[in-house]
Amino acid sequence: MTLTAACPKTEVARTRKPRRARRTLLVLVAPSLVLLLLINAYPLVYAALQSVRDGSLINAGDYVGFENYRATLTSPAFWRSVQFTLIFTVVGVFGSWLGGLGLALLLRTRIPGRTVFKTLLLLPWVVPVVVSSTAWNWLVATPQSPLPSLAQALGLGTPLFLADPVLAKVTVCVFKVWISVPFMMMLIGAALAGVDRTVYEAADVDGATRWQQFRHITLPMISRSTYISWILMTIFCVNDFPTIFLLTGGGPVDATTSLVVLSYRTVFQNFQVGPGVAIAFVMTASLVVVSVALYRQIRKAHV
Amino acid sequence: MTTNYSRRAFLGLGAAVGGGMLLSACGGGSASGGGDGGTLKFWDMPWGQANYTAAAKKLTEAYQPAGSLPGATYQGLQWANFSQTFSSAIASKTGPAVSTGGGFQAFQFADQGAIAYADNVINQFRQDGTFDDFLPGQLDAMKTAKGYAAVPWQLDFRIWWYRKSLLDAAGVKVPTTWDELLTACRTLAGRKLFGFGTGAGAGNNLGSQGLHLMMLNNGGGLFNADGKVEVVTEANLEAMRFVQDLVKAKAVDPASISYTTDNLITQWRNKRVAMGIHTAGLDTDTGETDGDLQVMGPLTGPSGAKAGLVFQNNIMMYADTPSQEGSEAFLSYYIKNMKTLWQQNVVAGLPVLKSIVALPEFQAQKQKAKIIAEWAPVAKTFAANSPTLFGGLAAVDSSQPITQFAQTVLAGQDPKPALESLQKALEAIVK
Repeated sequence: MTLTAACPKTEVARTRKPRRARRTLLVLVAPSLVLLLLINAYPLVYAALQSVRDGSLINAGDYVGFENYRATLTSPAFWRSVQFTLIFTVVGVFGSWLGGLGLALLLRTRIPGRTVFKTLLLLPWVVPVVVSSTAWNWLVATPQSPLPSLAQALGLGTPLFLADPVLAKVTVCVFKVWISVPFMMMLIGAALAGVDRTVYEAADVDGATRWQQFRHITLPMISRSTYISWILMTIFCVNDFPTIFLLTGGGPVDATTSLVVLSYRTVFQNFQVGPGVAIAFVMTASLVVVSVALYRQIRKAHV
Repeated sequence: MTTNYSRRAFLGLGAAVGGGMLLSACGGGSASGGGDGGTLKFWDMPWGQANYTAAAKKLTEAYQPAGSLPGATYQGLQWANFSQTFSSAIASKTGPAVSTGGGFQAFQFADQGAIAYADNVINQFRQDGTFDDFLPGQLDAMKTAKGYAAVPWQLDFRIWWYRKSLLDAAGVKVPTTWDELLTACRTLAGRKLFGFGTGAGAGNNLGSQGLHLMMLNNGGGLFNADGKVEVVTEANLEAMRFVQDLVKAKAVDPASISYTTDNLITQWRNKRVAMGIHTAGLDTDTGETDGDLQVMGPLTGPSGAKAGLVFQNNIMMYADTPSQEGSEAFLSYYIKNMKTLWQQNVVAGLPVLKSIVALPEFQAQKQKAKIIAEWAPVAKTFAANSPTLFGGLAAVDSSQPITQFAQTVLAGQDPKPALESLQKALEAIVK
């Protein structure tokens, strides 16, 4: 006796129906899948091929194996860029998170003009980076700009915010934090809105201090949003091209050259397509690893 | 009336619609490269102030092709990411038939088989006399082993400028030699003025080009006579040590290594800079054409040599065109009629034709006329000391290594290791 024969007819029909439905669904999503493959997978595969070739922006060039990756990973410029990318990302993620958290907590309290304040705080995020970078350039670029003039007036000398390698790094990182704080503020603000106030009332009754409430209630309750914001901001920072390029162009003397800027300059200024794409792939792989690690933290988060 | 569709029919319809969309997406842009609806596509960069594009468009649209040759359409482009714009368009066969562009773009694309050589146009110029109208050496610069990669149409110089009022106030004579330059810079530094105004920040190549000019002025350069990278030479080292002396004499603004072009122009405008190397359009860029900003004569270097740096901006034709004969006819028309752009004073660059130089409208621009008279005869190309331009130059000008080199030297650091690093980096880029 076969298994099919043993099953009643109605049961066979019941198992076939979802299978047919699945097939129907698959056919329905097929056009979107094909389009997605063409839009995302094709350029990705093409770029992967470019990374193992010695080509130009027009011609594919000769196959060179993993030479471009070897050259990338043994290049001092690459490792200097890795170092700056790490600094930029760590400062960008945690700086904006701390700023955003502080502002979100502040905006939870009943301060006068809260709505106006909230709207104004969103401006750095809303204004195009081209505009804000021009404004920052005006603020700091020359010794006669407002901030260096202020420093001079305070007897702090004439800081070269964009010409000194260390100060340029600081300036670019602060600029990134300034742009990103509103985004963090919105995310954390939404998470805080979801925290039940009765929990705090109960904690008050139990005699918990403000710090204890923040540490043992607020932070755990917003942990899922926090991890999501960290993942997003890590991706934003690692992939951030305009913030750096418009303000310093990666200089002075490559001090603010991140991986994405290095990749761009290698491809479009030095016209070394293979090595430039290889840098982008190494960068993407690293980003995937970091994102997966953070995603696992989200799943562990208990709320 | 109701219509009932079976699931199979519905799926079939969906597939047909999806497939149709896909096919239309893949087949988008049925026009061939270089052409659009039977006309030639002419892509042009913004070569002047806002009114330039309108004037160049008018000139293009005035083109009346002979017989069955195609007409031309004008497309203005921005400098931002122009390499990507051209490369992706050429690769996808949606590029122009004729274009202006980066000074070395024609040579770069010629190496990749995307350029149609201009030999027929040059031959025609020989027959009708236009050939002799070009300033000496300008057409030769376009010559490669396979033919003329493009036709030059305007010149972009890097030259010394000074602000007369500041020099007069400081009692400084306009320098004619490097020694006089250093002395003048020291005097000006005493008045908190910069004698070597420059900038090497985001998107600003004036810093590296200024250093290149100093190398050329001392008989050096980035390339040897065989077209190979050779920057670690005594001539270059001496020139860069002189720049180091200028830095020590406080002739260079310490913040200038991060100056964008706008920052630098602001410093000129604010009278912080008394002398410096800039393009021919400094007076226009600052909005001061009253004569306070003046072009210096070429300086005599320690070896007695004089030199300037010039980029021959050119018009190129692409292999992918609806009609090669049409491209040649349009290019010929444009060169022969472009004088209107100088008559209207809308181009920042300087003319490459003697007939335009002789125009009263051009001669009225005293600083520009001085550049042609004094700087053009001694100017060298970016490829010097190589006799010809080549595709690899596109990867050198504004590249990461040369920018880094400029920032290092202008920061006053030892030029020898900087030159050695530059040599190594450029060798990796120029093939």
